[in-house]
Amino acid sequence: MNATKETRQGSMKEEYLEFSPDTNRLWDKKYLLHVQDITAVFDGFKALDVKALGIAHNELRVIIGPNGAGKTTLCDVISGKTQPTTGKVHFDKEEITHRKETDIALMGIGRKFQTPTVFDSLTTFENMELALPGHQKLWPNLWGKVTNKQKNKIHGILDRVNLLQQAETPAKYLSHGQRQWLAISVLILASPKLLLVDEPAAGLTDSETELTAQLLTELKGDHTLIVIEHDMDFVRQLNSTVTVLNEGKIMAEGPLEKVQKNKEVIEAYLGR
Amino acid sequence: MARRPVRVPGGPQAFKYKTYTQTHPKPEFFVQRLCSNNRILLTLTLFLQVSATILAQTNQPVARKEGEPKILQLMVQLASEEEEEVIQAIKNLALTGDLRLENFFDLYRQGSVYLWEDAPEGILKIVVNEETVENDDFDELAPLVHPLTKKPVMIDGKQARPLIEDLTDISPGRKVRKIANSSKFLIRLASPNPKDRISGVKKTGDPPQNIDAIPSLQRIIKEDPDEKIQWTAKESLLLIRLAGVLPEQTAKDREAAIQELGNIKSLRALPRLQILLDTLNEAKEKPEGADAWTAAAKQSIKQIDKHETSVERFNNIFQGLSLGSVLILMALGLAITFGLMGVINMAHGELMMIGAYTAFEIQRAFGHNPDNPVDSYFFVAIPVSFAVAAMVGLIMEALVIRHLYRRPLESLLATWGIGLILIQLVRIRYGDNIGVNAPTWSLGGNEILQDVILPNGRLFIMLLCAACVGLVYFLMNKTPLGLRMRATMQNRDMASSLGVNTRNVDRCTFALGSGLAGVAGCAWTLIGGVTPDMGQNNFIVDSFLVVVTGGVGELAGVICSGLGIGLITKWVEPLRIGGFVVGAIWAKVILLAIIVGFIQFKPAGLFAPKGRLSDV
Amino acid sequence: MILESVRRMARQHSVSAMLVFGLVLIPVLYWIGAISIETVNMLGRYMCFAIVAVGLDLIWGYTGILSLCQAFFFSLGGYSMGMYLAHHGGAGGATDPTGRWEVPACLHVVSSKVGVEPLPWFWKPFYDLHWAVLLGLLIPGIVAALIGFVGFRSRVRGVYFAILTQAITVAAWLVFSMNNMKFCGTNGLTNFDKILGHPLSENYVKLALYLATVVSLGSTYFLCHYIVRSRLGRVLIAVRDDENTLRFSGYKPYMYKMFAFTVAAMLAGLGGILYAPQMGIFTPANMEASASILVVIWVAVGGRGSLSGAVLGALAINLLYNFLTSEHNFYLLQWKPDYWPIILGLLFIGVVLIFPNGLIHLWHRLNGQTSKDGNQS
Repeated sequence: MNATKETRQGSMKEEYLEFSPDTNRLWDKKYLLHVQDITAVFDGFKALDVKALGIAHNELRVIIGPNGAGKTTLCDVISGKTQPTTGKVHFDKEEITHRKETDIALMGIGRKFQTPTVFDSLTTFENMELALPGHQKLWPNLWGKVTNKQKNKIHGILDRVNLLQQAETPAKYLSHGQRQWLAISVLILASPKLLLVDEPAAGLTDSETELTAQLLTELKGDHTLIVIEHDMDFVRQLNSTVTVLNEGKIMAEGPLEKVQKNKEVIEAYLGR
Repeated sequence: MARRPVRVPGGPQAFKYKTYTQTHPKPEFFVQRLCSNNRILLTLTLFLQVSATILAQTNQPVARKEGEPKILQLMVQLASEEEEEVIQAIKNLALTGDLRLENFFDLYRQGSVYLWEDAPEGILKIVVNEETVENDDFDELAPLVHPLTKKPVMIDGKQARPLIEDLTDISPGRKVRKIANSSKFLIRLASPNPKDRISGVKKTGDPPQNIDAIPSLQRIIKEDPDEKIQWTAKESLLLIRLAGVLPEQTAKDREAAIQELGNIKSLRALPRLQILLDTLNEAKEKPEGADAWTAAAKQSIKQIDKHETSVERFNNIFQGLSLGSVLILMALGLAITFGLMGVINMAHGELMMIGAYTAFEIQRAFGHNPDNPVDSYFFVAIPVSFAVAAMVGLIMEALVIRHLYRRPLESLLATWGIGLILIQLVRIRYGDNIGVNAPTWSLGGNEILQDVILPNGRLFIMLLCAACVGLVYFLMNKTPLGLRMRATMQNRDMASSLGVNTRNVDRCTFALGSGLAGVAGCAWTLIGGVTPDMGQNNFIVDSFLVVVTGGVGELAGVICSGLGIGLITKWVEPLRIGGFVVGAIWAKVILLAIIVGFIQFKPAGLFAPKGRLSDV
Repeated sequence: MILESVRRMARQHSVSAMLVFGLVLIPVLYWIGAISIETVNMLGRYMCFAIVAVGLDLIWGYTGILSLCQAFFFSLGGYSMGMYLAHHGGAGGATDPTGRWEVPACLHVVSSKVGVEPLPWFWKPFYDLHWAVLLGLLIPGIVAALIGFVGFRSRVRGVYFAILTQAITVAAWLVFSMNNMKFCGTNGLTNFDKILGHPLSENYVKLALYLATVVSLGSTYFLCHYIVRSRLGRVLIAVRDDENTLRFSGYKPYMYKMFAFTVAAMLAGLGGILYAPQMGIFTPANMEASASILVVIWVAVGGRGSLSGAVLGALAINLLYNFLTSEHNFYLLQWKPDYWPIILGLLFIGVVLIFPNGLIHLWHRLNGQTSKDGNQS
């Protein structure tokens, strides 16, 4: 299975260079997310300058790059937190470039932030509960209750990340690792079409990192993921296509082994 | 700046206001001008003008004491048998320009002035007695007072009380009475004091127009050293001619007067011309030349209206700028404490109040009051206000604020509490109301264009505001302390690891912000009342709106939004919407609506802070 | 053992206990003559404040939005009710030129042309009690929804929103104080006489109004309790904790904020409606900027993020105010009412620096119970 994916992505590399606004239809079918000619300029500083990036359905894409390479900015642009200066983002056959965060989230892009953001005053369970898909409307929440099925689902996920014990603990009492997992669990529960996972392994112990990698690879089958990571061991565990960002530009793309041999990449990492 | 009056010799107009009357610049023009660097230049020019005026005024003799014997001598002639001589005496008396004669003329007309022929040597011949008293022998005695000073006439340490029979009644006849009355208005025309002279000149032009004043007016037009008085005299003369009360006045002459009034853009002529038009319209029999008058009056009204509109526009702009600089002065300290420290200082208004009360105390220490002005007190009051408010700020910082950095909501509550305490302490000490008497130089005004008068107090505040902004800019950007302040604001941990004593920087920053509030409060005493709760009532909300609209932590933002809010307020206030004048309160509401609308587009203010500070 | 069970009772049924206290104990005390009708009336007024405080707690304690215009909403309710009461005020009203309306006495005291001007149109709906009450709830609600819409949608938050609301309050206060606005100027609405034909000066009417206030306060409490315990309440807390993250979960925080703000405003209006007849006068002083901040201090002292804390805080501070604004002779200190603002100021500082979680937290600690809501500062 890995082999077929490899070839598919290999061929993709040649293909995406041919994209143009007129041939939008071509990639609509193939890619869930497509980013085209995106630049983001802050006070004259070009933080992001991506010609084209396509993420296929059910793909797990890892984005790596040194500090300040624009990884998080890319996530921000996709999820609507930052407005790009130029360019377009298409998601699921629609343009989402200038939409609001909420609308983008409702279309099916979920996000975990670099520092795990959970609601401190709410318990672990309540944090999960808020992420249940289809409960974002105001009025139904006034009388809506969690069904047993939903409860079981939440408990199932919490069990998987060893948080069941802490289900009734306010999130502010969780350890850093537990917060990371809670943030990831929330994403898994929400089950969006595309998951943007920003540094899921930051600050985790080795065994915790391993579990996180396991969780993400499990998702690969039926979710599309973009994982941003520093930790090369973790990236290796994910065993997936890697995009290297440097100074806002895509520098290389391909399987990790191939990318690691790329001269420019080595220079970018070591030459700093 | 080329906006000072330029004299055009021999022309039909006494003055030409070059820039203004010829181009009628739009308000935006001035805003642009004033916002640019020229602003400082302009304020400087204005300030020089103000000081020149002050100096000129202090050099004028207040009253001519040496003229007194001459006046008394002239008075004796009032007792003359010849009516002609009496009339001449009255006219000569009026020419002395002694204002005390106004009262004397009234007494003279009432018949309270007597000639005391048997007066002892060295005692007045002309005396005043208003009421007689009876002694034990039922003799009618007349206690005498001085005709000018109205003090009792003393003989051997006692008020002189001759028998009424010993005094000669010199009460005037009907004709002389009339002349005395009209001459009363001429006294001011001859006064050495420009202020009295101009009020007299103005009066002659108002109904009932005083024909007898014409020679004096003509003399003033020719000789008076003050151009403004010359101009006003000309205006008054024209108004007399407009009234058509001159003997043997031709219709042509009246028409010329009407036209001329339009040419010189006399605001005082506007109601007169309107009345003239109305009477001409209603008159059944048209007098000779009525049609020409109507046409001329219409033309002149148009001219004057146009002038009035531009005067109003200019006044609005000036008032807007003045309000804006008051707002900037108030908001400056707030912007520092909020922008640099993330502290919402609700007691800022109270610090201003403390500045104002400090000015009050300094004034008391200098013994300044309207009767005995010690104007220099104010220049001491400014630095002392700064120091006192800064001290209070330091105490606040040490006790409360230092626990609340970057916690705006909590600091809002705590500082409100501090404000309550300060208000109450001041109220217990001083009561509810005190009077601060502004220094005399701040009371006058300065006419820079025809009918555009800039009050000195407001000009001073504008200047003070510019100075404070300049100082803060210099301090923040050009001094080591400013560098430390900015560093601490941007990254406290980093700064302290680089050896910056952040505690001291915090103290300095807060003291600076508080001190500026004190200066603002001190300046406020020039233009407004002082009460313990002045901060909560007048300032705090307005100055926060300035800071919020301007964007936090940017000096330029505070200046732009302060001036913008000032100008918009003063632009909206006099607007009329179908008989409804907007007024101060609705202007405030409208302004608030504008600000709310504005933050729809720029939630972080005009000059939004960049980076991580933006999430307060 | 008994002590323990009493403690548990107090802990679990503290609100029910308070209700019983308010509904039963106070009237009984009044009937046996232990307390005067003035005390009952005063408690009633303070409970109106408690209703406002509960509303503020919903928006500030739970949703994390500091609103400084609760007093404005309170006054909107108070003015609605006050206009009804002024319509049915004592003698002195003049008939307006159309002959259909009687111009309330307090209105034509201020207006210079007596009897010439017709009754302003916006006075007319308040002739009927039902409309007055309905509008007294709806107007604050609509105003709040509008403010919330423009404020929250453009993401004005934190102190910016607080300052904005304060500015709105000040502007409203200025407008209501204008004589030509026909809201009776700074004198306020006066000459209240009857409610539904019952004279306000009668003791039984005062008692009835008091009981109505207690019932309203109870209902308010349970309504808010229901809201904060529902899923919606958890979303509100999430808004307080991290609004941005919530947005990425597909929620529209501004809708939730508007909801909480509107509910809080309507509760403030309810407080005003009940306050006006018990006070006997309603003036623009009720919506001064300081009045709004006072509501904040009730909640802060009682305990932010706890509904019973809000009630407790409002009652405690007002009772303290009542006590300290009269002269007392403590052992060494001659107490003067002048000193009250200083105490109030110290309370502001103290609640921020020393006990940020308020009285209710203290109470919970005494009971050996940790607050579950997690009052964060």
